[in-house]
Amino acid sequence: MTVAQLLFGVFPYVAIILAVVGTIWRYRSDKFSYSSLSSQFLETKQLFWGSVPWHYGILTVLTGHLVAFLVPRSILGWNGVPIRLYILEGMALIAGILALVGLVLLILRRLNSPRLWHITSVMDSILLLALLVQVVAGVWTAIFYRWGSSWFAAFATPYLWSILLFKPDISLVSNMPWVVQTHIVGGFVLLALLPFTRLVHLLSFPYAYLWRPPQVVIWYRRSRLGGSR
Amino acid sequence: MTGTTVVSTLMVRKWIAVFCLTAIILAVFVVGVGAAPPRQQGGEAIFQQKCAACHTIGGGTLVGPDLSGVTNLRDVDWLTRWLSAPDKMLADGDPIAIELLKEFNNIPMPNLGLTDAEVADLIAYMQAQDGGAVTVEPAAAQPEVISQPPGDPDAGSQLFIGERALANGGPACISCHSVDTVRGLGGGTLGPNLTHVYGRFGDAGLSASLKGLPFPTMQGVFSKKPLTDDEVADLHAFFSQADRTTQKPISSTGFFILGILGTLVFLGLSQLIWIKRLNGVRKPLVGR
Repeated sequence: MTVAQLLFGVFPYVAIILAVVGTIWRYRSDKFSYSSLSSQFLETKQLFWGSVPWHYGILTVLTGHLVAFLVPRSILGWNGVPIRLYILEGMALIAGILALVGLVLLILRRLNSPRLWHITSVMDSILLLALLVQVVAGVWTAIFYRWGSSWFAAFATPYLWSILLFKPDISLVSNMPWVVQTHIVGGFVLLALLPFTRLVHLLSFPYAYLWRPPQVVIWYRRSRLGGSR
Repeated sequence: MTGTTVVSTLMVRKWIAVFCLTAIILAVFVVGVGAAPPRQQGGEAIFQQKCAACHTIGGGTLVGPDLSGVTNLRDVDWLTRWLSAPDKMLADGDPIAIELLKEFNNIPMPNLGLTDAEVADLIAYMQAQDGGAVTVEPAAAQPEVISQPPGDPDAGSQLFIGERALANGGPACISCHSVDTVRGLGGGTLGPNLTHVYGRFGDAGLSASLKGLPFPTMQGVFSKKPLTDDEVADLHAFFSQADRTTQKPISSTGFFILGILGTLVFLGLSQLIWIKRLNGVRKPLVGR
C-alpha cells in the first residue's frame, strides 16, 4: 500500500470513524464539556479582533466548500462567466485571509497572556496548530493554485463522494501539488480532532436561534441612569 | 453511583476500541479492493488508453516519437525503467532520455503511473508489433493526417473560459489553465500556462493531446469526461490563435492585493458595526 493510498484512501475512514464514535463518546461520558471554554472574561479586547474575523471568515469558506461538495454544478455554472468567477474567488480569498488574520491574532493572544495560557489545554494547542496549517494551506492554494472553486467541483467533489460511497478514487487527488494534498489531509485531521477539542461547539451551537422568533430585551433602567437611549 | 459510572465508562471505552479497530481494518480492506487495478488489460488496450494520444506505431510522429521498432532500438531493461518512471530518469540525467527530451520540443513524457504488470504487457505488445526481426525504416512514415473539421477559435475561447460548458461535463480549461489572451484576473494556475502550447506540441500533437488529455492530473477527471471531436477542433483553433499573442501573463499579485484590501475593508466595517461593544465594562471593574 502506497503513502497516497494510506493518506487519501484509508485515513479519511479513520477520521470519519473517530469523529462519529468520539462525538457520541464525549457526549455520553462528559456531557457538560460539550462546548468551548470561554476566555472572554479574562481578555476581551484582542478577542474581538481575533474572534470576529476568524468566525466570519471560516464560516464563509466552510459554506463555500459545503456548497461545492453538495451542488458542484451550481459553482461551475456560476463560474461560467469570468467576472462571476473572479467575484466568487475574490470573496473566498477575502474570507480566507480574514480567517487567517483572526486565527493568528487568537494564537498570539493566548501565547502573550499567562492568564490565558493557564487555561489553554494541550488539545487547544494541537487544534490551533492544525487549524493554522489548514488555513495557510487553503489560502496558499487559493492564491497560487487558482481557480480552486472551479477545480474543487471537478476534482475534490468526486473524490469526497468516492470516499462516502466506499469506492475511494485516489487518482483524482494523488497528483495534486503537496500544498493541496496537505489541505485535503488537514481537513480529515480536523474532522478526527472535532470530538476531542473545543471544536465540538460546532455541534452544540444553538442553531435554532437563527430562526426563533425575536425576543425584545428592554433595559428599563438605562434611560434613568442617563444612557444613550 | 460512582461505581456504576466507572464501570459504564470502562465498557464504553472497550466498546469504542473494538469498534475503531474493526472499522480501521474494514477501511483498509475497502481501499484494498477499491484501489486495486480494476482489471488486467492487454498491452493493446493500455496503449490505446494511455499512449495513443502522443505516440503511434508506424503512424508517424505526434507529440512523441513513432514507436515502431522501438523494441529493437532500446533494450527491455531501459524500456521498463522508462515506462515506469520517465520523470525519475529525466531527473537522473539519463543520456538517452535527455536527448529525446531535446528532440521533442522539451515536452517531457509524464509518469503515467503504470504498474509493473502493465509495463510488461505494453512491452510485450510493442514487441509483437515489431514482429521480432522485421526491419523498420524510421522516419519513412509521414505524420498521420488527422481528418477533422476546421475549428472555430471563438467557440474554442468560449469553451476555454467556460461560457460554453463542455458536453461531457468536464470542467472548463480556465479552472486550472491560463492563456495570456484571457484578461481580467487571468486563468487558473494549478496547471501550466497554455498560451504557446500550439507552438510546442504542433498541429498533430495538440489534437492528439486534446483527444486523450494523457496528463496524470487530468486523467482522473477527463478519462471519464473526454472532449468531443468538435470541442477538440475548436480548442485547437483557439490555441493556434493564442500562440500568436503578444500579451503578457497575469501574475497572482493583483488577486492577492484584492484579498488584502477586502480584508481591511471588513475589519474597518466590523469596528463600525460593533462600535458600541462593551469595551469599557471590565476595566473600571478590575482595573486592567
